[in-house]
Amino acid sequence: MRRQHLPRRTVLQGLGTAIALPLLDAMTPAFGSSGKDKPRSPLRLAFVYAPNGMIMEHWTPAQEGRDYVLPRILEPLASHRDSLLILSGLAQKNGLGLGDGPGDHARAAASYLTGVHPKKTGGADIQCGVSVDQLAAQVLGKETRLPSLELSLEDARQVVNCDVGYSCAYTNSISWRGPSSPMPPEVNPRLVFERLFGGADSGEDPATRARRQLYRQSLLDYVHRDTNHLKANLGASDRRKIDEYLFAIRDIEKRIQSAEQHSRATAPSLGKPSGIPVDYGEHARLMFDLMAVAFQADLTRIATFMLGRELSMRTYREIGITDAHHGLTHHQGNAQMIAKVLQINCYHAGLFAHFIEKLKSIPDGDGALLDHVMILYGSGLSDGNQHLHHDLPVLVAGSRRFRLGRHLRYAAETPLTNLFLTLLDRFGVNVESLGDSAGRLQGLGDA
Amino acid sequence: MKTAGVLVTGVVGGLLAAPQAAPPARGNVGFNRTIRPFVANHCASCHNPQLKTGGLNLLGFSNAAAVEQNRAVWQKVLHKLRSGEMPPPAMPRPALDQVARVTAWIEARLKQSIKAEPGRVTARRLNRAEYNYTVRDLLGVEASPADDFPIDDSGYGFDNIGDVLSLSPVLMEKYLAAAEKLASLAIVTPAPIPATLERYQTETLGGAAGSPISLTRKHRFPAEAEYDFKVGVGRRPDRAPPIKLALLLDGKQVTTFDVDAWAPKPREFDVRIRVPAGEHLVAAAYLPETAEYNPASAPARPAFPKPREDAVEKYMRDRKIKDNLVMDYIEIRGPFNAAPPPPPESHRRIFVCGHLRSNHDPGCARTIVTSLARRAWRRPATAAEVDELLPFTDIARKQGESFEQGIRLALEAMLISPHFLFRIERDPPSGAGGPVHRVSDLELASRLSYFLWSSIPDEELLAAAERRQLRKPAAFMQQIRRMLADLKSQRLVENFGAQWLQLRNLRGVQPDPQRFPEFNEELRDSMHRETLLFFEAILREDRSILDFLDADFTFVNERLARLYGIPGVTGSEFRRVTLKGEQRGGVLTHASVLTVSSHPTRTSPVLRGKWILETLLNAPPPPPPPGVQQTLNEASSGKTGTLRQLLEKHRSSPSCYTCHARMDPLGFGLENYNAIGAWRTHEGEHLLDSTGTLPDGQSFRGPAQLKAILKRDRDAFARGLTEKLLTFALGRGVEEYDQPAVDAIGRQLAAKQYRFSALVEGIVNSMPFQMRRSAKGGDSQ
Repeated sequence: MRRQHLPRRTVLQGLGTAIALPLLDAMTPAFGSSGKDKPRSPLRLAFVYAPNGMIMEHWTPAQEGRDYVLPRILEPLASHRDSLLILSGLAQKNGLGLGDGPGDHARAAASYLTGVHPKKTGGADIQCGVSVDQLAAQVLGKETRLPSLELSLEDARQVVNCDVGYSCAYTNSISWRGPSSPMPPEVNPRLVFERLFGGADSGEDPATRARRQLYRQSLLDYVHRDTNHLKANLGASDRRKIDEYLFAIRDIEKRIQSAEQHSRATAPSLGKPSGIPVDYGEHARLMFDLMAVAFQADLTRIATFMLGRELSMRTYREIGITDAHHGLTHHQGNAQMIAKVLQINCYHAGLFAHFIEKLKSIPDGDGALLDHVMILYGSGLSDGNQHLHHDLPVLVAGSRRFRLGRHLRYAAETPLTNLFLTLLDRFGVNVESLGDSAGRLQGLGDA
Repeated sequence: MKTAGVLVTGVVGGLLAAPQAAPPARGNVGFNRTIRPFVANHCASCHNPQLKTGGLNLLGFSNAAAVEQNRAVWQKVLHKLRSGEMPPPAMPRPALDQVARVTAWIEARLKQSIKAEPGRVTARRLNRAEYNYTVRDLLGVEASPADDFPIDDSGYGFDNIGDVLSLSPVLMEKYLAAAEKLASLAIVTPAPIPATLERYQTETLGGAAGSPISLTRKHRFPAEAEYDFKVGVGRRPDRAPPIKLALLLDGKQVTTFDVDAWAPKPREFDVRIRVPAGEHLVAAAYLPETAEYNPASAPARPAFPKPREDAVEKYMRDRKIKDNLVMDYIEIRGPFNAAPPPPPESHRRIFVCGHLRSNHDPGCARTIVTSLARRAWRRPATAAEVDELLPFTDIARKQGESFEQGIRLALEAMLISPHFLFRIERDPPSGAGGPVHRVSDLELASRLSYFLWSSIPDEELLAAAERRQLRKPAAFMQQIRRMLADLKSQRLVENFGAQWLQLRNLRGVQPDPQRFPEFNEELRDSMHRETLLFFEAILREDRSILDFLDADFTFVNERLARLYGIPGVTGSEFRRVTLKGEQRGGVLTHASVLTVSSHPTRTSPVLRGKWILETLLNAPPPPPPPGVQQTLNEASSGKTGTLRQLLEKHRSSPSCYTCHARMDPLGFGLENYNAIGAWRTHEGEHLLDSTGTLPDGQSFRGPAQLKAILKRDRDAFARGLTEKLLTFALGRGVEEYDQPAVDAIGRQLAAKQYRFSALVEGIVNSMPFQMRRSAKGGDSQ
């Protein structure tokens, strides 16, 4: 893990009150770096997901190239158009039914970052694929305290029934560590904060902390030994559960070791979010801020963030919408309903604009943090009314490793996963194929 | 994929039936009469040996046996026909009654040839609710660490499905932190409480202005111990008479001091007194030496300072004494020589050798660890397993820490072990058993306790399993009854009931505040509570499960009673009320259910119809075939008349009509309740039309008649609830091979007046609950 210098008072906004960053060692000047010898910033990768598709005629620019007219949904991002690369024509074919009948929302979410056709099951034998963020985390996650961060704004506890015939696992997460292991997103900003900056252990004296680490290590050694005995003689699906368990144990062991190498300065008393803000916008901005600060402090380099889950029944009273989002998307051409969906699409884009602004405002390496983040913003459905899985609304924002400020159109049905391979290339992770990928996406600009 | 729901549809008559069809002819006669001509006319132009569209040649099936031997293919055929997906839109439509005859025949054949088997449940991770209950029952601590765990994904409508419950690194991290927190809560080392000094000044006490003659203050004494009290008084003038100063605890005089007449300087009086732990009222007051004043008859605590002052003042006034009786302060210092605190409940459960207050005997480590592991892991730990846990006491000792810290570590190890986090069931040693086997007595005990209590077996159940008593029918039934009677069965209501009736969705509903200004958080909670109390009454009183459909009682508080128009209920407390009239009774009329099956701005007959089919009958309508618009544009119409007309459009298309013919009328029967469940007869100026006609021709007006139809078809409801409860009890979806078990439970239910206990007994005695398929019999893949 490399140290980076952070200003002492980096302030998170969004909760109404400011939150001071804890005194991480990340904030003390990195060793061996003098003024002229600036550390090269690592690249970060973020996926921001908007549910239930978009009103596509207001997403897709009519023109290609640099001089496109900004469509309605992207208007909130107007001041950042030089940082955007809008990509049309990309598809996620494995979201289609392919003989499995209805369930497009579940398939849209499950296929979005995996490119894999999820197995239709209400519970038994869940099968999806490894998602692009987790492929990146497998390679570069070990560089940071947390391999990846998964966030969401929708508390899935409120939802018992998901898409017909599909377990809720397919809609609750877009990130998959393995074909049967979704990564559950965190909804509560307080818990995100604790995960990033540690919970109870701030203020502990070094001897106590060292003892705690020793104890933890001996506990993990114990369960490791114990679980290996257990594994013998189990059936395949039971063994899969135990393998998942062992993976998690190893993951924690790795993290304890890296924490030992980089024992952090103790955080001073700090304000942390008290819970989930009632206001959706505040909640979203706070999560975006936490994501930005996690990137800034190099606590993780990979994040996924769901502004909502597929089939979301959320009403957006904050902007005067009292109907449920999913119901509205089945507008069947009704102008009033279309207008409301459009309003939600714009609202989401505006919250995303806050994230871009935040990243622009934070200095990092030789520029702003935004220059070192690749963000994919989009949805797993294009037209939510008809459940279309082609010509998906996606854009890439951030890093100058692409030639930004343009709208590109690809041949119809070009796999979205081609884009993922290109992103992974730029991220320094070389992967042969991902889901239904068929090569790299051309024309994005220089590496 | 779940097939049970599809299968049951249409087997029973009435509600679930498609437009009426004659009973299917049996065997090959039926195949030749019903299937062959239908396939030839409607399927064979694509699904023939040459084209094999979709890889399917239906002409290859020439008799009933061939259908039974290719279940998967014919399940799919059944599904496509029923959903209207086939024949495809461009092809000629078969008549509805013809489709109904064909599907009924296929279904009957498939059902007839089901082979019962127990299935194989995947190892189940404790879900959040189970984790919280388990650690509370195991350790006796009041903590809910799982509230901070990531959500558990659900499957088949429940969040305790083994295959779906995954374990992410984030969750493992939280398990580790929770284990540490629980161990430190459960094993407390009593640290001496340091003595502190508290000084209460008169200025801050707000006594009589200028010269207060008594002080009273509430003080928290942290332990039963001795405390030093010091009372400081001001100087008194020359020739003032001697007077007594009293110290009072909770209004009772504990000691007095003589204050001399001549006191040129401020003085202090002190005393050491033993005080019980807790909050006490401490007071210091001058006592007038008069006959008319008797401290024993002093008024009770809250009022006492005032009359006492009056008495002293009167004494002074009567004798024309001018005095300067100033009370300066009271100081309390302590505790000293504190009595040891009573050991917490958790120590009783952990330190089984005694010595609950510390000074543990290291020789007890093995006993403690053995007993704790047995309870945490729901089975006796082997000697080898205990040997692996014992070194933790040494690890702590080498760090210079206490024996208790060592036990804490061993407890943490148990709590993050897969034996604790998962319920793993093992096949019998190779050779024994066969393709299926009975689960062990201990596994059965855990199945029972997690089904009924969402937690570990208690001592009685665990001991019965160890003594291999559970397989004796009388002992088994006695345990079931005992467990249902235990208050912990309330968790079944909370975990099963709230998910079955979709009450958990209440948390997320957002009725439009402009249309429903009376909806607020209190009402939301009240709605939830009513239905849970109602469910619990059915369980506790062992009522008929048919009461879910209709009952003459419910539970309300003032808020809910106002919504229901029930007079005479005040306050936020819930109480049982007897219902009169036809407006309320049964879960269908509960505001909770009516709200979760509505849109935020208005009611939806489709959603309510779907709720009935899905929840009460476990026969969820298949989703619309691909390419069909998901929802008719209900929202575009504000007026109910047009809503009904709009839904009439479902009739125009056979692919919509097959399902909406069932859904829509059921929903219209509940139109007398608005989107948050209040009764109404009009919408705007329109008189509401709550009539409906079901596919089989039964028609009704209003909720009471709708409920009567549901009650007539009681076995369809009983079957639906059985499948739901079985899903919850097993932690897996109900499959086709469970159908014989479901049938058998249904027969027992009918024979026992549909009592709730009969349902539970039927489930725990069923083959899938008692047995498991062996891995060598093929793992569930």
